Amino acid sequence: MGIQIRNVQKRFGATTVVNGVSVDIAEGEFFVMLGESGCGKTTTLRMVAGLELPTSGSIHINGKDVTFAEPRHRDIAMAFQDYGLYPNMTVFENIAFPLKIRKVSPTDRRRKVEETAGKLGIADYLGRKPFQLSGGQRQRVSLARALVRNPKVFLMDEPLSNLDAKLRAVMRTEIKKLVSDLGITTIYVTHDQIEAMSMADRIAVMRRGDMVQVASPLEIYDRPLTRFVADFMGSPPMNLFPACLKSPARPTCEVQEFIDSIPDEERALIADRLDSTGQFSAGIRPEHLKLVEVGSAGSARAVVDFVEPLGQTTNVYLTAGETSFIAVTDRCRYHVGDAVGVYAPPEFVRVVAN
Amino acid sequence: MSPNHVSVQRGSKIVFVYALALLATAFFAFPIFWMVTASLKSDHNITAYPPVWIFFTPSLQNYVKLVEELGIVKMFINSAVIVGLSTCLAMACGTLAAYALARFDIKNKQLIAFEVLSIRMLPPIVSVVPMFILARWLGVFDTYWLLTAAYALSGLPFVVWVMRVFIQDIPQSIEEAALIDGCSRLETFWRVTLPLLMPGLAATMVIVFMFAWNEFLLASMLTSNAAKTLPVIAANTLNAKSIAWGMASAAGVVMSLPVVVLVLLMQRYLVRGLTLGAVKG
Repeated sequence: MGIQIRNVQKRFGATTVVNGVSVDIAEGEFFVMLGESGCGKTTTLRMVAGLELPTSGSIHINGKDVTFAEPRHRDIAMAFQDYGLYPNMTVFENIAFPLKIRKVSPTDRRRKVEETAGKLGIADYLGRKPFQLSGGQRQRVSLARALVRNPKVFLMDEPLSNLDAKLRAVMRTEIKKLVSDLGITTIYVTHDQIEAMSMADRIAVMRRGDMVQVASPLEIYDRPLTRFVADFMGSPPMNLFPACLKSPARPTCEVQEFIDSIPDEERALIADRLDSTGQFSAGIRPEHLKLVEVGSAGSARAVVDFVEPLGQTTNVYLTAGETSFIAVTDRCRYHVGDAVGVYAPPEFVRVVAN
Repeated sequence: MSPNHVSVQRGSKIVFVYALALLATAFFAFPIFWMVTASLKSDHNITAYPPVWIFFTPSLQNYVKLVEELGIVKMFINSAVIVGLSTCLAMACGTLAAYALARFDIKNKQLIAFEVLSIRMLPPIVSVVPMFILARWLGVFDTYWLLTAAYALSGLPFVVWVMRVFIQDIPQSIEEAALIDGCSRLETFWRVTLPLLMPGLAATMVIVFMFAWNEFLLASMLTSNAAKTLPVIAANTLNAKSIAWGMASAAGVVMSLPVVVLVLLMQRYLVRGLTLGAVKG
């Protein structure tokens, strides 16, 4: 059950957009595909929807091979970035449209539309045309139209990206609540890492047509596999320091103090994550760095470049040797030009592939 | 300035604007006025000098002559059938072709679109003689089929190009939403795309209709009697020996009426259709 994507490839002429993606999505799971524009996430979603046909590979939805099935035979619903509402129909007709196509009786139609519209808080607008609605209301209508027929699978293609920041935050929690209450398997495409972190059961970070890492949000945040994932997730992103393994016993790093005492299980990962030139990166999240007295045990010496107080936290931009990085602290007393000690707790240092 | 003064100034501005608009309207409406009145005048009144403007006894004599001497009723039916059929054909085929060109992945799409347009670049006079010979061969000379086909084909490129733009203006996600909501491709086109295309269809149809309705060259060369259309008969009122001004005017009125009616019927869509694309949303 759920959705199985097997080795799916999509080429447009000579360009490969999706490069052999495989993933199993469990029934009721909220699965987010995250990546920059052009990474193949939307194309993958459209292949699940049946709006695009894969060049090779297969897609199963609830145990049925739907690789080449028409969208209407897949029992899916979809929300679009630009809503895709029918401009000549009222909100009621928009929401009722999928029921009408499926020949649901007019009384049932009315009942279901009113029920769904109530759930999404648009019951008062049923008589309006889409152009008389705000962006947030339009997206609610498009969600209502998708949910009105209790689909097994719900696909969302950046549904919030046309809304302002505040409304986006509200809709985020609403969608997540709604979908998990109904237990619908969901694939959600976004380029916004906060959306991905806050909504997903599992995230697939995509780059150049590949799924680089598929894991739970916290796993992705805490243990990024590659530089790309580490850099993409978190704001400010993870600090990454070029490192290499000259002798198996002692990895070297640009800021040697950070890597000297990493735990054995992390050290064991190095061999796997080396690139062809024997390089890797040592990563640590800015919030895990501690600013201490210069010269205290295990700390590196750094100079404060810039201090950015954000109220709740403070971003401190530092340079150690030639490497720049960021530490996130509580309110701090440091000024530009101060020398500080920076301590990286070994349990938070990660081995990241380049 | 006192408020009074301002309102006077604004008032005179409005008067000036209206006067200008009236003048322009009169300039363009005068030939039509002259045609309609001339069709109701006697030959004597038409050629009178100084001209008789409005004070004459109207008579339908010219129209009666058109019906009795030239058999205009038959020509009117010919025109209506040929132009109606060819317009419908051009609209149906052209819109479907435009849809394919706008929406589907077709190899050499641009080339096909250009090929379609290139028919339009040929001066009609060039194709008249070959068409005449072909029609003789096929035995369709002076039949409805020939002119219907000719008009449908000459209207087609225009329909394809204009409708393609109208279709491209409809966001693809609307059609994709319909596909996912349970429609097949054809249902999507019929239930979702077509209603949104109405303004474009109306505007395009009026233009294609008018083009075929007024067409003279092909009509005069490719018919002799049975399939003769209105423009030919209107021209027949002018012959080498004399010009029947009254009958010519009456034929002009008869020819203009269907176009006027069509435009009035489509008016609701036309204004929207002609500005679509200029104003978004």
